[in-house]
Amino acid sequence: MPSHDRTQWLARRILPHEGELRTWLSRRPLVGLDIDDVVQESYAILAGLGCVGHIRNPRTYLFEVAKSVVLMALRRSQVVSFSALTDMESLEVPCDAPGPDAIAAGRQELERIATFIATLPPKCREVFTLRKVHELSQREVAHRMGISESTVEKHMGKALRLLANAITYGGNSPIPASKACEDERARTETSGIRLRN
Amino acid sequence: MKTNAPEQKRPESASEIESSAASWAAKADRGDLSLDEQAALEKWLGADTRRLGAYARALAVNAHFDRAAALGPGFSPDDFEEARPSPPPALKRRHFLFAGGAALAASVAAAVGFGALSAGAAVVTAKGDTRRIALAEGSAITLNTDSRIEPRFEERLRQVDLVKGEALFDVSLDRNRPFVVHAGDVRVRVLGTSFSVRRFDDGGVEVAVLEGHVEVGAAGELHPHSLRRGQRVRVSPRGDFRIERLSHAALERSIGWRRGIIDLQGMTLAQAAAEYARYSDRRIVIADPAVGAMKVTGVYSTSDPLGFARAAALSMGIQAIPTADGVRLDRR
Repeated sequence: MPSHDRTQWLARRILPHEGELRTWLSRRPLVGLDIDDVVQESYAILAGLGCVGHIRNPRTYLFEVAKSVVLMALRRSQVVSFSALTDMESLEVPCDAPGPDAIAAGRQELERIATFIATLPPKCREVFTLRKVHELSQREVAHRMGISESTVEKHMGKALRLLANAITYGGNSPIPASKACEDERARTETSGIRLRN
Repeated sequence: MKTNAPEQKRPESASEIESSAASWAAKADRGDLSLDEQAALEKWLGADTRRLGAYARALAVNAHFDRAAALGPGFSPDDFEEARPSPPPALKRRHFLFAGGAALAASVAAAVGFGALSAGAAVVTAKGDTRRIALAEGSAITLNTDSRIEPRFEERLRQVDLVKGEALFDVSLDRNRPFVVHAGDVRVRVLGTSFSVRRFDDGGVEVAVLEGHVEVGAAGELHPHSLRRGQRVRVSPRGDFRIERLSHAALERSIGWRRGIIDLQGMTLAQAAAEYARYSDRRIVIADPAVGAMKVTGVYSTSDPLGFARAAALSMGIQAIPTADGVRLDRR
């Protein structure tokens, strides 16, 4: 079971890159594999690591883990053509330019959080706002709203589910592979045009 | 929760796992789990490695939102949603409030919105913005990029002119006070529902129904087409109606703009470039028709046309060349 510290690490260092990972995976030959499966397997590996202190670049690490998950699955399945396998193996993990959303400024990040909360269905939103913004316990939320604790828990579950989808599809721009990334950087510097707007 | 169900033969789908994992995370969020719950959770986790991953992810999502406390006790999601456009031109907005003649505090957003709306003021969004307006009678209108509506609310009738662009209408049910949207010559009549209307530059109009049902017809027409949930009608500039059925997923995708998402599934590069032109002045230019005809796929941010162009170039083996006001896509 993931510890408190590991959960914090996943929330801060991994979750912000999940959108990019999904975009990256969506362009790979996954041969019948579901992106959600790959994501879940990857989190399982990250949650089960003995320690994470040695991981200097969580984003790259996440991509490597996901890639290994896909490779393992491809090897297991007998029907996959050899070329799909070599395609995947020769894949470069995208270079480490942080996506615009990955390292959003504090205020911007807060604005995103507020926007996501605002998109929840009304009851769900009320529960979630009292719990996370007003920092009431689930019991206090139940008391305040005059509903049962199990209803509060249900709304929290629904909110977490909806928010998980929202934040990981929420407009992370796709990341080019490393070579193109460097080309881009060189070009950007010479022409003086800022590419990320 | 599926803890008591016998282990299924069919492999559990990732989305089912996600759902159970969110429920477990909500349970853990309540405080410490009881010993029984702890045991049940461990048993559940042990049956499939994906479950541990999904659970860890759900906990991470919950932790991510701990930051919401910084919004402060004054935070009201409704206010925020209305003030959300990224970023709202403050001057224009104040203008809009005063246009209604109601110099009310902005905190009573819904009332202000209604005051302004009943006075017939226009509501506009700049390119790249979206804006949600909550109406006092319970309806809400979300404007997409570069759009303009002119509401005319009367005692017995709620009317809105979609002058330009696209808007999503969440209409509260009121049998005595129908809600009518005019998009040029096309008229959409509603009782209570959620639907979007988009006007194209060529004069065409598209209406998609997310919930409930609406009637769509030419202005003054006696026999309008009835449109149900999941249906979309495209009215050509000449006034021909073409109705199609959309899957739930396709419907959701079609209003992804509410969350700043653009879905390019099945579009050509040329169409994608045109779509981005709605949201940004940074142009994606394609001179070569063969390049323009290439198919794209995927979900992208509405605010990042250049990021999209580069990703597309990479996946299609073409090149993205930065220009003074955007990017040009061309063969290598």
